[in-house]
Amino acid sequence: MNTVGEALKVLHPLVAKYLRKERMPHMACPGCGIGQVVHGTLLAIDELGLTPQNTVWVQGVGCSSRITYSTWMGDNVDAHHGRIFAVATGLKMARPDMNFILFTGDGDCAAIGGNHFIHACRRNLDVTAILFNNGIYGMTGGQVAPTSPVGAVTTTTPYGNIEDPFDMCQLAAAAGASYVARWKSTDFQPLVNSIKKGIQTKGLAFVEVLLQCPTNFGRYVLKTSQAQDVLKWIKEHSVSKKEAEKLSKEELAGKYLLGEFVYRPERTGIVERYQEFLKKQQKE
Amino acid sequence: MPAGIKPGKYFVQGDEAIAEGAIAAGCRFFAGYPITPSSETSEAMARRLPEVGGICLQMEDELASIHAVGAASVGGLKAMTISSGPGISLKLEGLGWGIKNEIPYVVVDIQRAGPSNGVATRVGQGDFYTVRYGSAGGNNCLIALSPKSTQEAFDLTIECFNLSEIFRCPVFLLSDETVGHTRELLVIPEESQLNVRKRIKPAVPPEQFVMYPLDTPGVINYPFPNIGEGYGICVSPYTHTSKGYASTAQEVQEKMARRLVFKITENSDKLVRVERQKMEDADFAVIAYGGNARPAVAAVDMAREKGMKVGFFRPIIVWPFPDGEVLQVAEKVRTILVCELNIDGQLSREVSRAAKGKAEVYHLGSGGVEPHLPAQIFNEVRRLYK
Amino acid sequence: MAITIIKDFCKGCGFCIDFCPKKVYEFSDEMNKKGYRLPRPVREEECTECGLCDLYCPDFAIFLEKTKKKARPKGKGDH
Repeated sequence: MNTVGEALKVLHPLVAKYLRKERMPHMACPGCGIGQVVHGTLLAIDELGLTPQNTVWVQGVGCSSRITYSTWMGDNVDAHHGRIFAVATGLKMARPDMNFILFTGDGDCAAIGGNHFIHACRRNLDVTAILFNNGIYGMTGGQVAPTSPVGAVTTTTPYGNIEDPFDMCQLAAAAGASYVARWKSTDFQPLVNSIKKGIQTKGLAFVEVLLQCPTNFGRYVLKTSQAQDVLKWIKEHSVSKKEAEKLSKEELAGKYLLGEFVYRPERTGIVERYQEFLKKQQKE
Repeated sequence: MPAGIKPGKYFVQGDEAIAEGAIAAGCRFFAGYPITPSSETSEAMARRLPEVGGICLQMEDELASIHAVGAASVGGLKAMTISSGPGISLKLEGLGWGIKNEIPYVVVDIQRAGPSNGVATRVGQGDFYTVRYGSAGGNNCLIALSPKSTQEAFDLTIECFNLSEIFRCPVFLLSDETVGHTRELLVIPEESQLNVRKRIKPAVPPEQFVMYPLDTPGVINYPFPNIGEGYGICVSPYTHTSKGYASTAQEVQEKMARRLVFKITENSDKLVRVERQKMEDADFAVIAYGGNARPAVAAVDMAREKGMKVGFFRPIIVWPFPDGEVLQVAEKVRTILVCELNIDGQLSREVSRAAKGKAEVYHLGSGGVEPHLPAQIFNEVRRLYK
Repeated sequence: MAITIIKDFCKGCGFCIDFCPKKVYEFSDEMNKKGYRLPRPVREEECTECGLCDLYCPDFAIFLEKTKKKARPKGKGDH
């Protein structure tokens, strides 16, 4: 429970403008990257002139989603674990005029929500989805995720993870998303630019963000309690597309590629197509 | 945009009547996944909804369907989904979201023989308890209506939509394959003869509006603002305060549980709909619901021809269960025979409970696939009649 | 003052201290209500208003009012 209500006389301008102050400070652990990504999202929203009246935040379950629960000053629709893409489909088809920003996580998007995610990409649903990839299940205490690196020691892989992780960007691209990008939580400028570009692109915009979970990924996988160490690990294990061109296959193994991967604004999606179809129906 | 209904006489399956009922009620969003014996409704909605400017989606699975339907309702549209036993099992978590956040929509179950996949194309009545208690966590009540004919499938679907708006909750149409797949007369009246409830919107500004009236648990006909209407609504799968903020406090949990239960129980007098035939002088009652009511009525007539004073009782609103009305039957007759298409005894268990020992209650069960034959029910009545 | 620290939001992660290119911040001896050790600007005159503290803080506990520049800063991770 956040109990700082009376003391909230001075606020960060973005909080004052866009978030419910009685819900702040949010409940992320010290050093967690979620707040950084939310900050980037708010900057993108601010620069594009989106408002709480025309934008809805849709969240799932897991740290990625629950941190932002009912923080947005506008409408907040929080869905069951893994179902945000199905919920977003219903919301967007009912209100195609509104903007929808989805916050999802490793379990929510890549595990239980996998099926809904790929179908939303296939339908090119006109929403912006931000995947908080911290390589582990944070809220439930540090279990392995479909995005955890091979060898990761977690509470459900105490001897080390033997499964390969998803490349969620490749999955989104193959399934049909119009815009796909990956950044680290500390790539402030490119991240904000990507979120802006995603919001402005018709179709499903998927922005994956690698971020630090000091409490679970840090402690279990990296054996550190310092968020700064996790940030360092992420930096060492990520590489830009340009840099990747100079590296061999072996050097690239286990590294995350950063950058924009897909931008196909010409690909239409279910929302526009259905509206076109209804227009035709009414004429007949 | 055309109103949607096409008045006239039709010779259609119950499944199609449900689609027409939904459109007549103002349903403009449907999401489903094909599953026998409900697919005809999905197909009818796919043909008809675009004619009235509505949205019909075949989603990737049952879960996506119910979540999209709940979301579409949050988005401002009257919405419906449909399935059968195995698909209803999948939908139960999503149903919880609708119950908890007091979202109006309609879920249709065309019951088939079970358990598990059972026999896809044949009738069963095994979901009676599932729809009521299947969504985990308890702390809620549920409304379910059950038609016995194509005409009732149309009428009760409209009633389901109305009740969902009045009580601000998902409402079940608990049907079965007998009704779903039987072709018979459907009369669709003129629009002016229909009673369709509109969604209630708040009369007060956002700062004064309480999204979830936890402090007045029995209130109904309560407004339901949607996204993009300036109310900054918060919808959450977790226990939440009246504003919609997730909470772990015991008093919030208590209030929420009471709201979701009392909303229905304190208004149960408005949720009584039963059918009685030949009960005035009866000393034996046959109870059945849905498609299985039809052979039961025929059996009662056969018994009357033999001089037995047998009557028929049918719950039409099956949840909340008509305890008072069943007790009245039990106080009147010596014996009650409950005929349902399951062996484990579900309706009969509720009847036993509500009868409070005032009459002997017997269960005539069948695993399903075929509805009871009138002769089967009649033979049992004759065996038990005193 | 260009730098504002919102004490009740701080979770003592130390990012502002570690990532300020001019080492403006250090941990202070003060703790907030939740027991987190607060940062404090000790070399404010060195501040170039790059805004990295504002961006790095995951808790909206620092904000920078730009008196000198108008554009948002480019961080190290830019591509």
